[in-house]
Amino acid sequence: MNAAATSGTFREARAAWPAIAFLFVFFALPVGALMLRSVTDPQWGLQNFSDLLATGTYARVLFNTFLVAAVVTLMSLLIGYPLAWLLVMLPARWQQVLLAILLMSMWTSLLARTYAWLVLLQKTGVINRILLSVGVIDAPLPLVNNLTGVVIGMTYIMLPFVVLPLRATLATLDPALMHAGAVCGASPWRLFRSVLLPLSLPGIGAAGLMVFVMSLGYYVTPALLGGTGNMMLAELIAQTVQSFLNWGLGAAAALVLLCATLALYALHMRYLDEDA
Amino acid sequence: MKMDTPLPAVRLMDLHKRYGDFAAVDGVSLDVRKGEFLTFLGSSGSGKTTTLNMIAGFDDPTSGQILLNGGAVTGLPPQKRNIGMVFQRYTLFPHMTVAENVGFPLSVRRLSKDEVNSRVLDALRLVQLDRFAGRRPSQLSGGQQQRVALARALVYEPQLLLMDEPLGALDKKLREEIQIEIRKLHHRLGVTILYVTHDQEEALRMSDRIAVFEHGRIVQVGSGEDLYHCPATAFVAGFIGNSNFLRGSVAERRSDAAIVKLGENSAVCVPVDAVGGVGSEVRIMIRPEEIKLSHALSDAAGAVIPVTVRERIFLGDTISYEVATRDGQSVLVREDRARNQGRCVGPGTDAYMHIAINQNRVYKKY
Ligand SMILES: Nc1ncnc2c1ncn2[C@@H]1O[C@H](COP(=O)(O)OP(=O)(O)O)[C@@H](O)[C@H]1O
Ligand SMILES: [Mg+2]
Repeated sequence: MNAAATSGTFREARAAWPAIAFLFVFFALPVGALMLRSVTDPQWGLQNFSDLLATGTYARVLFNTFLVAAVVTLMSLLIGYPLAWLLVMLPARWQQVLLAILLMSMWTSLLARTYAWLVLLQKTGVINRILLSVGVIDAPLPLVNNLTGVVIGMTYIMLPFVVLPLRATLATLDPALMHAGAVCGASPWRLFRSVLLPLSLPGIGAAGLMVFVMSLGYYVTPALLGGTGNMMLAELIAQTVQSFLNWGLGAAAALVLLCATLALYALHMRYLDEDA
Repeated sequence: MKMDTPLPAVRLMDLHKRYGDFAAVDGVSLDVRKGEFLTFLGSSGSGKTTTLNMIAGFDDPTSGQILLNGGAVTGLPPQKRNIGMVFQRYTLFPHMTVAENVGFPLSVRRLSKDEVNSRVLDALRLVQLDRFAGRRPSQLSGGQQQRVALARALVYEPQLLLMDEPLGALDKKLREEIQIEIRKLHHRLGVTILYVTHDQEEALRMSDRIAVFEHGRIVQVGSGEDLYHCPATAFVAGFIGNSNFLRGSVAERRSDAAIVKLGENSAVCVPVDAVGGVGSEVRIMIRPEEIKLSHALSDAAGAVIPVTVRERIFLGDTISYEVATRDGQSVLVREDRARNQGRCVGPGTDAYMHIAINQNRVYKKY
């Protein structure tokens, strides 16, 4: 961890004990208990895990989950990076307008936003009707109840989580660096490739990781926009536990999710350490 | 434009830059000769950076024209102007090594790897940093970083080098060292340099000519000596070198000259067109080293004003006095120690101040 945390004095460490105790009782303990059930329920063994990986439908859910998370991460970075750049470059007044729009959408109920996408994307929805009337397409596009719908909805929801950290990174870069690069003869594209992008990689990494991890465990949007055939891991966990009361399998799936997250986090920390 | 004069490296034609109602640059016209070292000197906020940024192409002028080598560059982006620039802030790319930084303008220009390498090495030798080619900018001191930035700005042999207070963040000793280095490089390479500073000493030390900025305008352009001896306005006089402004009032206007009364009973003759009507106030600038103090009246030309010596400070090669005239004006006097020998004017004593009025330093207003 960072130097500040390791060099904390004994007194400071003692002050943290209540928080640690709280976390232990209300977080570590229940999660640990649940995780334990993945190897004890219905009997001792790794049965649940082999079920999870060997059964076609479950494996498919795992695959969907990682695929959607990867595509959503990529899409939100592709859209979020220019937005973050705009947020840094625009005059202060327009920055605030853009930021307000971004935050307002973040503060609106997740359910409302997801249903709004349902309205927009369905067969008789706004998007299909516009495309049909303009004549771009002959039959409505299947934009919802499939992974396309999930990706569109989740990309939108994840956007602020990309834009805000990227904006923080980009704001620390000195605009004089870009001036210096331009005077050296670099075209705007070359400047982006050789200066801006390499310098914003840490921000891209952090934002991408956050979105990927959040996407892996996302429940509401995939459940509403994905339809029954395209389940993701969080849905699977809910279903096995709620409908089938199969705590063991649900716990196993949750453990897989947790391990994937921790592994990614470790990778990221390692990368940051090497960079420093 | 006359045909026999060579094209100026830079020509600014009635350049304006407005931010809302505020004119940051308010009608700047200037020719910079090829190979010249010209400095923009002015206090902070006088429009030097804005002017330089318009030449570099970061800002568009609100009105006016910029010609580089005779060609208008309006609308041309910075990367197409073939200009080198060193900024006040450190602008080396932090993710590249020193060599990669210096090589960047060359690789942008698609030179071969070998060519890039050899020219990078040459450029780094020029600023005596070839040993540091493999380092990151964060491993260099501020002075070293600015020298690398200089190498980066020179490596592609631009027609014009812009420097915006490049030594502003460095301490005095280092600053003087690099000033000399830049001056030498200028002699060696013959590149046209436009340099910005608010430090008059730096401007005097380095420049062929100095353009003094005030409120978005150039109030005077000339060599350091011109500006020192014949400042066009009281502002320039106050900005360059030490100066005293003696208050007086117009006593009489004749056709060829005006008489200005200084204090109780001294009067001087000044050009009539430099002053206003009878009774109006006048400022006369006198450099501290142009004043002679003595206990005896001499009949040298110029004015003699009785003063009281308030303070005497020994400064090694010179001796500095603070004296007061009868009407309470404080005047700084500096005398060569060698010239001063034997004559000891001590604090608290009365003396006479002998001044030769320079006809070019009479101002209506301060
Ligand atoms: N982008 C801007 N918007 C508004 N005012 C500006 C802007 N850039 C510069 N100014 C103003 O223009 C004036 C001249 O600035 P500048 O050229 O940087 O001065 P200098 O370099 O001589 O210190 C300053 O008063 C500054 O506040
Ligand atoms: Mg400036």
